[in-house]
Amino acid sequence: MTADMTHDVVVVGAGVAGSLIARRLTTEGLRVLVLEAGPATPSTFEGYLQHVQTFYAASGKGAESAWPPAIGAPQPDARDLRSDNGYFVQRGPLKYGSTYTRAQGGSTLHWLGVSLRMLPEDFELRSRYGRGRDWPLRYQALEPWYRQAEREIGVAADVADQTHHGIEFADGYDYPMRRIPPSYSDIVLAAAVDGMSVRLGEDEIRLKVRSYPAARNSIPRDGYRPVGAVDIRPDGLGRDLYLGERCAGNTSCTPICPIQAKYNAGKSLARANPAYLTVLARAVASKLHVDPVSGEVRGVEYQRYEDTSSPRHTVHTAHGRIYVLAAHAVENAKLMLASGLGGASGMLGRNLMDHPSIYGWGLAKAPLGPYRGPLSTSGIDDMRGGAFRARHAAFRVDIGNDGWRPTTGAPDTTVVDAVQTRGLYGADLRRYLESTLARQVRFSLNAEQLPSAANRVTIDPRYLDAMGNPRPVISYDIDDYTLAGMAEATRVYREVFSRAGIEDHTDPEHSTWFPEVPYAGGTMRYHGMGHFAGTHGMGNDPESSVVDVDQRSWEHRNLFLVGAGSFPTMGTSNPTLTMAALALRTADRLIAEMGRSSHRQQPYRREQGRSRDLSSGGYTEDRPPEGLGDRL
Amino acid sequence: MARREDVFISLSAGLTGYSPVRLIGTGMCDQYLAELGKVLSDGMVDEFLSAYARPPADGGCSVLKVLRDARWGPVARRVMILWYCGTWTALPESWHAVHGASSADTDHVVSAEAYQAGLQWVAAGAHPAGARQQGFGAWALAPEGV
Ligand SMILES: Cc1cc2nc3c(=O)[nH]c(=O)nc-3n(C[C@H](O)[C@H](O)[C@H](O)COP(=O)(O)OP(=O)(O)OC[C@H]3O[C@@H](n4cnc5c(N)ncnc54)[C@H](O)[C@@H]3O)c2cc1C
Ligand code: SF4
Repeated sequence: MTADMTHDVVVVGAGVAGSLIARRLTTEGLRVLVLEAGPATPSTFEGYLQHVQTFYAASGKGAESAWPPAIGAPQPDARDLRSDNGYFVQRGPLKYGSTYTRAQGGSTLHWLGVSLRMLPEDFELRSRYGRGRDWPLRYQALEPWYRQAEREIGVAADVADQTHHGIEFADGYDYPMRRIPPSYSDIVLAAAVDGMSVRLGEDEIRLKVRSYPAARNSIPRDGYRPVGAVDIRPDGLGRDLYLGERCAGNTSCTPICPIQAKYNAGKSLARANPAYLTVLARAVASKLHVDPVSGEVRGVEYQRYEDTSSPRHTVHTAHGRIYVLAAHAVENAKLMLASGLGGASGMLGRNLMDHPSIYGWGLAKAPLGPYRGPLSTSGIDDMRGGAFRARHAAFRVDIGNDGWRPTTGAPDTTVVDAVQTRGLYGADLRRYLESTLARQVRFSLNAEQLPSAANRVTIDPRYLDAMGNPRPVISYDIDDYTLAGMAEATRVYREVFSRAGIEDHTDPEHSTWFPEVPYAGGTMRYHGMGHFAGTHGMGNDPESSVVDVDQRSWEHRNLFLVGAGSFPTMGTSNPTLTMAALALRTADRLIAEMGRSSHRQQPYRREQGRSRDLSSGGYTEDRPPEGLGDRL
Repeated sequence: MARREDVFISLSAGLTGYSPVRLIGTGMCDQYLAELGKVLSDGMVDEFLSAYARPPADGGCSVLKVLRDARWGPVARRVMILWYCGTWTALPESWHAVHGASSADTDHVVSAEAYQAGLQWVAAGAHPAGARQQGFGAWALAPEGV
């Protein structure tokens, strides 16, 4: 085991949370080492295109299909859910249905990019509705960082569409880019649905199809320049490609945007100050060393591997003044537990949440033109807030632009069904497919899940990965509050379908396999949204939370745990924008604190001339920085 | 005798409902014939094509004759899926038991080009996901033919 150099901040994980923090801290002249467990994602555009080819040739085209994992950094895969022999050890009673990616860039490599803010009432669920918990900060307190996050990750939306449910924006503010044009199917559905009302208990709720804010490049406002594809060549210099500065409708945001019009965390790393940044990919943080007296972290042990297809590795330790765990809600908890840092409150790893979701799919009367454009551009989000939250979960209706792909594996399965089951061929086959595929529509109904101490990530020495690190052991259930919300969501989507003249074809017996949960004498099939949250929740009280409002560990004061793991509750918005806002807020706290206690540090290497902000060199180090190699 | 490419295209047009010109335009004919050869053997592909090329004794439809044939029907249906999806679907065990096994007969995407050339995207009025982007905002327009 060898010790290496000292950094100001050691960040574990090059996902969105870690990359945003690294960018902000290096810009302020703090020396940041980022340890990334997965393979380095190529910083050249040509290298990135290899992943596009991998996707084309993959037989399952799921979220992970463009991002094969390394043996040393295994990841969950949706295809393992049914057989139950994947990376997660599922303790039940229900299966946790979501996945993430362990490669440089993290899950944003394959995320969809929907970037809704949380509602003001989401931060106060306990005081307003007697459910869940309150956050230690309110919407207004986070609002400035929402604005910054929308700029950092590049969100396209119009404020005019988004001011409802009490969401307020600062005066004169609008998103950096105009909204993504709604799809033809959004427009047709809106004409049928807008203004209809549904009942949720006492509440009568009027529906409206609304455009989703998205971290996807669109027409810029006020001098903002969209950040397109990263292309940093081996000479360390970035090339201005102009590629990806607008979404071009590739319709494959998950698993890969071929032109990087969609945000991924690599863009933030590429825009960090390279003179102050070192990224070590293929470096799996495996243990934190803690001072037994002060509780402060003294080092991060990590395993470095060369070959992605082998568990062979060497062990090193990185040192810094501050440590930031940004390895994902599950991996953060796992790393703490593996280091014997479960903590006195017993809260670490608990309160794991997701947005358990139900699919509804059908055939419209006339063509809606699916399989074109960003996979979702609008939704119906009038059921995200209201008095009914005292009784059952809030929910949101995503409208898909990708036909039945996520529900049945269409269009391929539609073809197979037409040929094999319906016995069609020739002109009849072609006519049938033309008429059917163009009319496919699907909704995804995403319900809020409340924190529950029994839903948790643990480790067990019997279950280790190839490099000897623990695999996450997951206990998961969905309580009646959420199930009742899912049942209401099912009722609502049926009313909407019927209003819009959509023939319901929802049939979980003939679809992709999804886990089931018994409810009210029947069963519901649900899928995960990839929205892991809650394993190191923030609060004002060290007895019932793991981190404080700055995401600082109560027990280890130079340690920060960042990401959706810090969420006390989730609301109904996709978590990444809120996670980004919290990460930027934490970075600002660190800058204020470290700036006070030290002078500006020497950079790792000379600052290079930079043609423009985003085209900076030195983005990823496969080898340790010059002059430091002997100490690694 | 006609070139096997011509026979294959003619049969494929009858099976898929797309004209020979359209099928040739995908540029996939040679790759698909080669793929069939790998899965079945070149000799068997020739038998398959000649089963189609011989006019039926009753003067009926040659495509239907192939589809109804116990040996060639399952192959023909997989050829349709091949053109529409760019994937090969393994023949059933029962077929192998009678007509011989092949280790290359597995479910698979034939190639990255095959995926992109799938007629399913044309039929949907769309484009292959992740390729042949239609341009900013194209998704807001009505699909072709509406
Ligand atoms: C299919 C899908 C679609 C999604 N769509 C949306 C959406 O539309 N909107 C939205 O808001 N969210 C969406 N999400 C969720 C979103 O992707 C995640 O919330 C977000 O990426 C999490 O960011 P993170 O930085 O916390 O973790 P990650 O992105 O998972 O990054 C963590 C990083 O840490 C690394 N790491 C892990 N363990 C270690 C270790 N031991 N040592 C060193 N490094 C380590 C990982 O390799 C990874 O690079 C989606 C998720 C999925 C699966
Ligand atoms: S629609 Fe296409 S271009 Fe636009 S973000 Fe998605 S994958 Fe990228």
